[in-house]
Order: sequence, then C-alpha cells, then structure tokens
Amino acid sequence: MNKLLALVKVDFKNTYGFNSLIQSLKNRRNIWIALVIVLAILSLIPSYFMLVMGLVNLADAFFQIGQGSYFLQMGIFGSQALVFALGIFYVLSKYYFASDLNQLVPLPIKPSYIIGSKFITLMFSEYLTSFPVLLPFIIIYGLKASKGVAYWVYSLIVILTMPIIPLVLASLLVMVFMKYTNLGDKKDLIRIISSIFFIVFIIWLQLTIQQLAMKSIELGDALFLNLAKDSLYLVKRLGIVFPPSMWATLALANTNVSGLLYLVLFLGISFVSIGLMIYLAERIFFDGLIGNIEVVAKERKARDLTRSVAVMKPYLAIAKKELLMLVKTPVYLLNSIGGVIIVPIILVMPILMGDESMDTITSLISDYPHFVNLITIGIIVVLAMVNSIGPTTFSREGKNLWIQRVLPIRARDQVLGRVLSSLAVQLLGILVLISAIYIINRIKAADILIITSLGLVGSIPMTQLGMVVDIARPMLDWDNPQRAMKQNFNVLVALGLGALFMMGLFFLVKNLIYKIDLIYIYLILFTIFITLAIILQGILEKMVERQFMELE
Amino acid sequence: MLKLNNLTKSYGRIKAVNNINLEVRPGEIFGFLGPNGAGKTTTIKMIVGLLKPDEGMITLAGIDIWQEPLKAKSMISYVPDNPAVYDKLKGIEFLNFIADMYGISKEERLRKIDYFSKLFNIEHALENLISSYSHGMKQKLVLTSALINDPKLFILDEPMVGLDPKSSFNLKEIMRQMCDEGKIVFFSTHVMEVAERLCDRIAIINKGQIVTVGTMEELRSSAKDEETLEKIFLELTEDE
Repeated sequence: MNKLLALVKVDFKNTYGFNSLIQSLKNRRNIWIALVIVLAILSLIPSYFMLVMGLVNLADAFFQIGQGSYFLQMGIFGSQALVFALGIFYVLSKYYFASDLNQLVPLPIKPSYIIGSKFITLMFSEYLTSFPVLLPFIIIYGLKASKGVAYWVYSLIVILTMPIIPLVLASLLVMVFMKYTNLGDKKDLIRIISSIFFIVFIIWLQLTIQQLAMKSIELGDALFLNLAKDSLYLVKRLGIVFPPSMWATLALANTNVSGLLYLVLFLGISFVSIGLMIYLAERIFFDGLIGNIEVVAKERKARDLTRSVAVMKPYLAIAKKELLMLVKTPVYLLNSIGGVIIVPIILVMPILMGDESMDTITSLISDYPHFVNLITIGIIVVLAMVNSIGPTTFSREGKNLWIQRVLPIRARDQVLGRVLSSLAVQLLGILVLISAIYIINRIKAADILIITSLGLVGSIPMTQLGMVVDIARPMLDWDNPQRAMKQNFNVLVALGLGALFMMGLFFLVKNLIYKIDLIYIYLILFTIFITLAIILQGILEKMVERQFMELE
Repeated sequence: MLKLNNLTKSYGRIKAVNNINLEVRPGEIFGFLGPNGAGKTTTIKMIVGLLKPDEGMITLAGIDIWQEPLKAKSMISYVPDNPAVYDKLKGIEFLNFIADMYGISKEERLRKIDYFSKLFNIEHALENLISSYSHGMKQKLVLTSALINDPKLFILDEPMVGLDPKSSFNLKEIMRQMCDEGKIVFFSTHVMEVAERLCDRIAIINKGQIVTVGTMEELRSSAKDEETLEKIFLELTEDE
C-alpha cells in the first residue's frame, strides 16, 4: 500500500507539476502571464453561462412532462460518455507511452500498482472535464425538484465516483487492444489505423443502441400513458444503453430506500470493476507494454545521399518538420489529424445511418444550400481550433526548443511554417468534410471552391490565435507528449478565445444574412479573416522574437 | 573575435555569472574550465542566445549577439552537453532541417553530411529514427549538424562526454583544423588532459567569476610550482 501511495504522489507531482508551477510563480513576469490566462479563462464564462441557461430551459421541458429525472440522467450519461471518450486517449498515453515507464518497469513493482497509481491520477484529470458538464445538471435538477440534504450528499458521492466505470471500461479496452496489436515494428501504424476504426465503430455502436432505445419507446397514445404512469419511464429506456447511468440517476431521483439501494449498486459495480481492471492488469499489462518503449533500429542500407538530401525554404522546412512530428507521434496524430478526420465523420454518421431526427438537416441541406456553405465554413474554422496545432506548436517543441532558438531563423518563417502545417492538416479535414457532405447531398463545384478557400483562409487567424496563446507561455517542461497536447492549458485558453471569435462571427452573419446578398457575406468574411491574419502575423513575429530571447 | 564584456546573469539572488570579461581571438581553441555549478553552461548559453544576460555585452566579429541575433547565429554552431533532438525524425531529416535553416546549398550539404557522418561512423544510421540512437550517436548527429554550417564560432559544452575514443580523437582533429582556418573553437570541459593538450588558452571560472585566463605556460608560471593543470585547477577553485 505504501508503494502505491508513493507512486501516486510522484505521479501527481509529475503530471500536474505543482512544484514547477509554484517555482515559476515566484517570477514576477510569470504572475502577469498567469493573470492573462485567468482572464482568458474568464472569457469562457459567457459561453458557458449561455449553455447553462439553455439547460435550465431543457430541464423545464422535462419537468413539464413529468420526466425531470431524465434531465438528470442526460447529464450523468453525457459526462460518463465524455470520460470514456477522453479516457481512451488518456489511458493510452499514460499507461503505454509515458516516459516514466522507463523508470517504473525495471523497479520491483507489480503491474497492478503502476496501473493503480496512474488510474488515480487519471481520475483527477477526468474530474477537470466531468465537473463542468455534470455539475449544472445536478444543481439545476436539485433546485427545481427542491431536493433535501440526502440528495446533495448522494450527489457528492456520485460526482466523485462517476468517472470510475467509464475509465475502467476505457482501461480494459486499451489494455486488450495493446496486447493484441503489439506486432513488430509497424505497430504504431497498425494501432493508429485501428484506433480510428475503433472510434468510428464505437460511434456506430452508440448510434445503433440509441436507435434501439428510441424504438423501444412506444409511440402514440401508449407513450403518453407510459409517461403519465411512470415518472422514470424515459430514464429506464435510456438505461438500456448504459445501465450505470440509470443506477446513478435512480439513486439521486428517489433518496429513499430504493435510492440507497441503487447507490449501493452503483458503488458496488464501480469497485468491482476496479478489481477486474487490477486483475487484468496483472495478467496482460506488460504484454502490451514491453516493446513499446524501445525503438528498434532497422538494418537499412545507407541510401544514396543525393536522393535523401533536398533543399527547402526555411518556412517550408519548418512546416515539413512540424507535419513529420505530428504524423510520427501517436498522441499528436490522434488528437490533431485524427480530430479533423473523426469530427466530420461523427457529424455525418447519424444522417448516413438514417436517424430520423436528422431528416430535417437533410432537407435543410437541399433547400438552403447557402446555409450549408456558411455552416461548413464555420465547422472548418472550428476544426482549426479543435486540431490544437496552433496552441501547442511551441509547447510541442519541449526540450528541443533550443534547436530553434540557436538557429538563425527569422520570426516570419517560424510563424509561417507553423501556420502552414496547420493548414495542411485542415486541408485533410476539409477533404473529409466535403466528401461527407457530398455523399448526403451532391454539392456544386463552385460551392466546394468557396468552402475550401474561405475555410482555409479562416483557419489562418484561428491557428494564429492559438499560437499567440502558446508563445506567451509555452509548456516546455514535459516528458510525455500527451502533456504538450491534451493537458496543455494553452489549448483551453485558445478554445475560449476561439469560441468568442466564432460567436462574434455567428452574430455578424446572423444579422446580415437576410439584408445583403450572400456573395457580400463571403467577401466580408474573407476581409475579416485576411485582416486578422495580417494583424496576428505581426503580433506573433514580435512575440516570437521576444520570447525566443527571453525564455530561460 | 569573440568578446564578453561585463557579463552578468543572476538567478534570484544567486549570481551565476558575475561580471566576466573575456576575449577569444580567431584561430584559437579556448578551453573553459570550472567545477560543477561554476557558471560555464550559463556563460555558453548566453553566447549562443539561449539565456539573456542581465548586464553586459557579447560581440562576435563586431556584431552584438543580442542586438543582431540572426546575423550572429548564422556564424555560430553550438553543441550542448546533453542534446535533446527531435526523436521522431530520421537522422537525415534532422540534418536536412538544420541545413535548410542555415540556407546551405545541396552540393555543400551533400559533401558535409557525407564527410562528417562517415567520420563519426553514423552514415549507416541516417535513415533510422533518432529515437533508436544511443546517447553517443545522438551526440555525433548533433556534432554533424553543427559542422554543416562552416561556423566562425564553434561552441561546445562538454563535447567529449559520451563519445567513443575514435570519435573523440576525430573531434579534436576537427577542432584543430577549424582553428587553423582562423575560426574560434570555444568549449567547456572537465577533462584536464584534453584542455591541457588541446587548448591554446584556458579560462577557469569559479562561482561565476573568471579566476584565471591564459596559455598553459602563463598559468604554470603564475602557479607556485611547475604544476599540472589539474593541480592549478584544484588550487584555484578550492573553497577558502
């Protein structure tokens, strides 16, 4: 047990870097930067507030049909799904690609201790993402249903233990996956391709189950009868998809004896699942791990140098280097490139699978093609934010940043090269998105041209915005690429700023759409994007020059 | 000429480098010695542009390194003591990247990469990922990358650590050759024999201050007896 505690302690310090944070806050300049970051996070609050207000209305709707607890379940199920989805990425990089494994594996520690300690740290990472999602649901429901003390006590327990089951599920899946894909020197590639298929499969499965659950709700008079008869009718239906979400909801909805029993059931299964994970860890963890850490040098014939040596302009060489690093580092590949491929697929899959609720969207696409153009451009610009390339571009350099700093590279080339790498990834996303839209409804070549060009131009300021955040405070002290990408605060700050920017654009377009011709809206968007890109390029050049001198 | 004027750098209250002055002439191999934590790496990092001095000025061939960094950096090549390099690139990709940043022509880089990779015996590994390299191979790759750009100032932090005897010998030969071509070689080391045999002049730094600088003969003549560099070093750096 002592060993486990020691491991958790070290992993905590390693993951969250409290020591270095306190150290860096001693520097006055860093305090100033910290304030800017706090302000940027505060900028997320308006969007968050709007979402929460929307939830209040949603809750009202469900309470009116007597199914208030279904609202609660949506929150619990949603955060469980989020924990599971993020968990797969977290688990993969923390259990299998973290560099501390080099030190841990040779030590006389059981695999279950390594997994156990990492699981505990991950729980805390998951709290950071699950709290903002789950808390509004719990609080809104509690207040609207005028719940007593027991509800709030039970809620606290549910909130704290909620990530266990989805995180265990993610751990089990990843452990089995890694054991059976540990196949020689192409294993990275095999794993990445299979993970993308895997994610698409999970989404497909999810949609299928959802459709089944929907179908199991009898329609017509029977539905109303059921709704009136049983205030937990919808909860039980969605419970078919993922029972733990139902147990937690039922525990909170009725805090009497039956609620207590459901709470015990929820907790019991949670702890049993941890036991199962520990059991499996002892048996298969090392099978998937060994062979991951070392890289085998292949006996290659020295190639003719003239074929491998090519001259490039500095900004192109930087873009190429960025792309190579993105493609060859699994965590980066999944998050940036995987993101721009998977998000469009997720958007289109329900339509392709014939989800009836999507019929309106399909008819919207054919009736109002210009909406489709504008929305698609919007999605592409959002993808430039989602791909996280901008807000991690300097952080990803990590300990290698010295190379960039001692070389005679102009700030302009630094910025240009990095923006280009993001645009290359964006181009891939655009390709997937347009193909997806094309499958649903054939769009014209002219529209494709407009979407591609405006989407790309719009991606420039979005990437630059992320870069501004990153160069102000690059996160360079990491030993696991996961930290530069997924646990990088700069990504969150950039998301906040990007969301504000998108909201501004949305309101602008909303106000103009019926007043002026569409072509002028395109022109206005184009002008905004280009102007912002030029301004941000100037700001970035100054910041890069200064930071490359000042960083220590 | 490399000139360090009144160079000072503090970390909080600790002065890592305290008002040092140095001049290194073209055609000189200059050894920079000192105990751990004396300020060697801090000084080197200030010369190559990785640490901004609190006070003082560094010039190379009359160019202020901190005022005109691009001009200065195009004349400098630096090899750190424990080089971190892009693990996910192939050796050749890394060398190409560095050559692109210095704007080196195809013929020139072909010639240099071919020559130095063979000299350091890494030519067979250039098509492999750097993550598969041993510590010594990474060191040799960074050395090769630093030599692609015919630098005016070649600056190395503990260059012999991790190198096998043959590569270490070759590196010394290269340093001598560069010096014959009128370039400056500036390096820090703990190995007294290397400094004694290789350097034209030596500076010893202790607690952020230069305690002595001169040729081996000058150091000897100022010492009590005809001593080895090791004894001089120990004498000058021992705690009062």
